[in-house]
Amino acid sequence: MNDPYILETLDNGLRIVIELMPDVRSAAAGFLVDTGARDEVAPQAGVSHFLEHMMFKGTSKRHWSDITTDFDKLGSSYNAYTSEDRTIYYGWVRQADLDAQIEILVDMMTSTLPEEEFQMERNVVLEEIAMSKDQIEHVAFDFLQEKVFEGHPLAWPILGYDETVKALTRDQMLAYFQQRYAPDNMMLMVAGNVDPGEVMKSIKQHCGQWKPSGTKSTRVPPKMKSGTDVLTMDRFKQQIVAITIPAAPAGGVQAEIASAVATILGGENSRFFWNIVQTGLSPRASAFHYEFADSGMMLLYGSCQPENCEKLHDAMRDEARRINDDGVEEHEVQRVRNRRRTSLAIEAEVPYHRLTQLMDDMQYLGQPRTVEQMLSEVDQITVDAVQDYMTKFPLSAAGHLVSVGPRDWPGND
Amino acid sequence: MTDFVHDILPCGIEYAVSPLPRRKVVCFQLRVLAGMVTEPTNKLGLMNLLGETIDKGTEKYTGQQLADELDAIGASTGIGAGRETVTFSCTVLPEHLERVVELQAEMLRTPTFPQDMLDVNIDLAKQELSTLEDDASGLTEKMIGPLAFGPLLGRHPLGEVATLESITRQDLVDHWKKHFQAGNILLSVAGNIEPQRVNDVFEKHFSTFGSPSKQGRDPAPVEFTPKVVHRDKQLEQEQIAICWPGVDAKHEDFPVQQVMLGILSGGMSSRLFTEVREKQGLVYWVSAWQETPRGCGMIFLGASTTPQNCDKTFNTLLHEVNRLAKDITQEELDRTLTGILASQETRGDSTRSRSHELASDLFFHGQPISPEEKADKYKRVTVEDVKRYLSTYPRDKMCVVTLGPKALQQSSIPSKAEVK
Repeated sequence: MNDPYILETLDNGLRIVIELMPDVRSAAAGFLVDTGARDEVAPQAGVSHFLEHMMFKGTSKRHWSDITTDFDKLGSSYNAYTSEDRTIYYGWVRQADLDAQIEILVDMMTSTLPEEEFQMERNVVLEEIAMSKDQIEHVAFDFLQEKVFEGHPLAWPILGYDETVKALTRDQMLAYFQQRYAPDNMMLMVAGNVDPGEVMKSIKQHCGQWKPSGTKSTRVPPKMKSGTDVLTMDRFKQQIVAITIPAAPAGGVQAEIASAVATILGGENSRFFWNIVQTGLSPRASAFHYEFADSGMMLLYGSCQPENCEKLHDAMRDEARRINDDGVEEHEVQRVRNRRRTSLAIEAEVPYHRLTQLMDDMQYLGQPRTVEQMLSEVDQITVDAVQDYMTKFPLSAAGHLVSVGPRDWPGND
Repeated sequence: MTDFVHDILPCGIEYAVSPLPRRKVVCFQLRVLAGMVTEPTNKLGLMNLLGETIDKGTEKYTGQQLADELDAIGASTGIGAGRETVTFSCTVLPEHLERVVELQAEMLRTPTFPQDMLDVNIDLAKQELSTLEDDASGLTEKMIGPLAFGPLLGRHPLGEVATLESITRQDLVDHWKKHFQAGNILLSVAGNIEPQRVNDVFEKHFSTFGSPSKQGRDPAPVEFTPKVVHRDKQLEQEQIAICWPGVDAKHEDFPVQQVMLGILSGGMSSRLFTEVREKQGLVYWVSAWQETPRGCGMIFLGASTTPQNCDKTFNTLLHEVNRLAKDITQEELDRTLTGILASQETRGDSTRSRSHELASDLFFHGQPISPEEKADKYKRVTVEDVKRYLSTYPRDKMCVVTLGPKALQQSSIPSKAEVK
């Protein structure tokens, strides 16, 4: 099949990727800014996320209400989100509206961060933080990151803390914005049934004059801590038991294998499902592969009645150890491959889904992958490859245990 | 114009197919017209248990073997028990359609409901009921459901501890025998598939599956109870939910209602997002939506906010709905319409969305409706229609539910709502 991608880097460093999808009627476009919570300094924890909110609050060309009105006039499905290592802004529109969509996204990237909106949006972010504190999964995950990555920027929550968000000034945010939101630290991606020449011309017209900031990444790979930490919270009924074990970083075959191991261990029709959930021990027991460019972790995660903590912990550890020691079965690997084929076929038909995959590939691999290339990588997952992976990232490692809920376990009870 | 095939198989399954030849997958939904509303009063939670247990063993396969067989062809499947239906959805590569239908038929026609699996699922449902206490928005839904819809449509899928403990394997078998019959099933299919192939494969595997005569088409009775209810709970935020009756999905004013909801809560330029969040910073989450079981429609407003903002948020929500009748503009109506039509088109690229849309058409309208016909109905909505809608369906009686550390002040509550 012909390569469906057009890649170009402008003189100012902005990388552009276009994926041609001739069979669709819609198109998606989005900016990936290579910045997130791990690029912050501790006293400004949450600035990336707060800034993402502020990017909707006005430019020299548009009042905040014009930004959202113009998005809605196109009937766009649009939003933004911030993670540990990226901030994304996107819109998904009818094909004919792509140029207008790109123009709005481009304009947003030149936000004036209006002073008069700063305080009001701070209140919105504080409400978002309050909401997250009522969600035990959110509380548990933040606590886990805080402990596993202690002493590293990955330790603080993406939303920041009440104190840091309240203390943040507009000048601090502006400095962060000017340093991080520059073309040499950003990518613009488009997927759909588009005329690549027209799209590229439009992007160059809009973004060609942007000035680079010369930002260099200062990211330092984290050292994941081992140990045990407990957060006792009487207000919750259930107990979360989570174990993190070092795993492959993002990108490439090792990441595909890690993802396959997580699926076999704790996905649908997995060992956790049949040997833990379907014994009644826990309504939810799963495994996930969390990945960053320079590190990764396997997360074994379950919730249970507080009195069942030990059993849930032991059961998850046993299953992980069994895979580590005995490997996986051929039919389990084949199942992962089969499922992946279907999910890739589903993904391949929707521009928005392709856009998110493009963003992953560009950030972690530096180049896009066709569905065929991804399938070829999936085919490299074999029983032997999994065994080899286990020697590099053993699932029998002690890792870090976190327990959150009403019971002080493992602790003093 | 979009092509559909809509017919009834000799076995009794009513089906609709939307052939999309260039797609890479086929998606289908089998909707059994028996949801929570069919549960006996003393067996609440039965349908959820049935949905959780029906794939845990058949005459030919154990639950794990069945899951392995589905994985062997990469089928992505799901089961969901709702108010009025149990839905079995599936996405698969076209070459595996025959096999996946064979497996779905095996599950629907010959479930063994293994006792040990049922026991586990009852235990898990009881655990989930307990942990629902940790889910503030889920608890709020559970509180407002019976007030909005009454004792049948307002049921919670998990049931109650006492009723769960009374459910036996025989209850599942009896309920399955009574409701799982071809004449009680709607099938929607979209994707790279010829309608004749759909006809052949489903008829082959579902022939003689119970009675072919049409069943389950009648809506359940709704019982709206205007009331103000607060439950104290230690939370960071107060959950607020408001609801009042609207129109059902078949009503001629349904497109007007959707446009009205779009103006209130369709995008970030909508009224609630703008007035409650952007101008006053009262919330992170605020929304307006509708729930439309057959034969009724309910309008909901929801928000979560810290306790000190609770009354102000509540008052702003009501104020914005009331204000809409007075100052709705042509510009925001046009914008909302564009949003609805564009969303229809962009989501049309997803085969799964097309299959869901088709399933919804069959369920509510008894036939597929082309995107063009739907679009025409929206395009006819005017500013005057929205004003008329808001005056025709008054909001003088409503349910108000709050969950959190602070009840609403009496002065905030509409006078005609009864205070519990």
